[in-house]
Amino acid sequence: MQMNDRLQAMAAGLLGTVLLAATGAAQTPDTGDYTPPRTPDGQPDLQGYWTNATYTPLERPDGVTSAVYTEEEFAERLNAAIANESAQTTPGTIPDVHYDFTQFGLDRSQTNFAYDLRTSLIVDPADGRMPPMTEEGIARNAAIEAARGDRWDSAEDNQLDDRCIIMRGAGPPMMDSGYNSNYQIVQTPGYVMILVEMIHDVRMIPFDNRPHPHENVCQWMGVSRGHWDGDTLVVETGNFNGKNPFRGSSENMRVTERFTRVADDTIIYRFTIDDPSTWDRPWTGEMPMTTTIGPIFEHACHEGNYGLYNTLVGARLEERQAAEAEATAQAEPTGEE
Amino acid sequence: MAMRLRPIIVAAVAGVAAAAALQASAHHAFSAEFDIDKPITLEGTLVEWEMINPHSWFHIDVEGPDGEVERWMIEGGSPNQLIRMGVTKNTVPDGTFLVIEGYLARDGTNKAVGRDFILADGTRLFLGGSAPGAQGPARP
Repeated sequence: MQMNDRLQAMAAGLLGTVLLAATGAAQTPDTGDYTPPRTPDGQPDLQGYWTNATYTPLERPDGVTSAVYTEEEFAERLNAAIANESAQTTPGTIPDVHYDFTQFGLDRSQTNFAYDLRTSLIVDPADGRMPPMTEEGIARNAAIEAARGDRWDSAEDNQLDDRCIIMRGAGPPMMDSGYNSNYQIVQTPGYVMILVEMIHDVRMIPFDNRPHPHENVCQWMGVSRGHWDGDTLVVETGNFNGKNPFRGSSENMRVTERFTRVADDTIIYRFTIDDPSTWDRPWTGEMPMTTTIGPIFEHACHEGNYGLYNTLVGARLEERQAAEAEATAQAEPTGEE
Repeated sequence: MAMRLRPIIVAAVAGVAAAAALQASAHHAFSAEFDIDKPITLEGTLVEWEMINPHSWFHIDVEGPDGEVERWMIEGGSPNQLIRMGVTKNTVPDGTFLVIEGYLARDGTNKAVGRDFILADGTRLFLGGSAPGAQGPARP
């Protein structure tokens, strides 16, 4: 399908599914006449393959004051973003030291992405920006940064995604992971399972009203509990280990997610971040998830992660070469004796 | 030995170089794995395409002017989206002649990142674009 056709199809479909959820900060989007299908045991059926790939930034860009773009504004920005993705990088620049995303079909314009007129994922506060960080949050993040070693000193000093431990797709909140932003939702009596393609995480969400575990029980993705609010799946997550902060959050973060199927091909995903150790007030984002092609393929990130090894070996080699060069320089006569 | 390895001729590609396109989201810092000051062009035949995550690797045999062959490993993109598009290892069969423009690894071995993979006829290898439905699924 050509890009122009896609844009036209997108424009035709926009008003039907996205706009209704893009405006206002109602907890549950207006589903109109739509009633989601049911699982055999009567749950609203959210099962299938979904993507949250998006061109919408978390925070509203500087200079943008509206909560939603007009279709014309959106098309203009989308075209610019697609052109930017497919543009050749400039030789000798940092972005050029990379394989071309378009050659591997990894740019969003070649994948299925969720069309969205919002100017930011954040819908509350109304300015589309995260609330200011508390002094406690600023001090904690500064201390974490100060304690971090040089990134290339050891594997442990690298970022979590470099180490194939976790990426931002898993969340919660579940964010566009840049590529392969794909999920599979499976429901059984008593559980919802969300399979995350990037790094292959699995979220198991029980529905039997069991309490959250003791605060000492902490996990990378926290511990989730689910319930239904009408046809909306609500997932409450706490018990984070704090090693995978979201935008500087603390281990005290609680995330409330709401999944509402508003059309056969669209779930409105809403997340609220409540972390008094980091922000004075809760804040909320919202984005569509759209159907995509399955199955979820194995990611097995660690098995093929030659990059981390290559990087560390390269850093040690350059250190050794620098030390040898310095020793050589010191050993040479200066000519000033 | 002398490899068929030469600096990229910047002027040749400057014409098509738009403003630096920010890659969507790199998995890791490529400029730490590869040396921005060591651009290379390699020409060789594909021996193996490791379709693995987080980044696939192309193994190619590069023949030097003296006829001696050396094996190189070239880093490329995650295969998952390609697999979803119907691309398999047979899309780029072993034995395919490739010209690869990229940057040399910092670790001093025969590794590089492939910024561009180019076929023998000069066209850019466009893996997604070579697959049916490569422009993504039809929208309603």
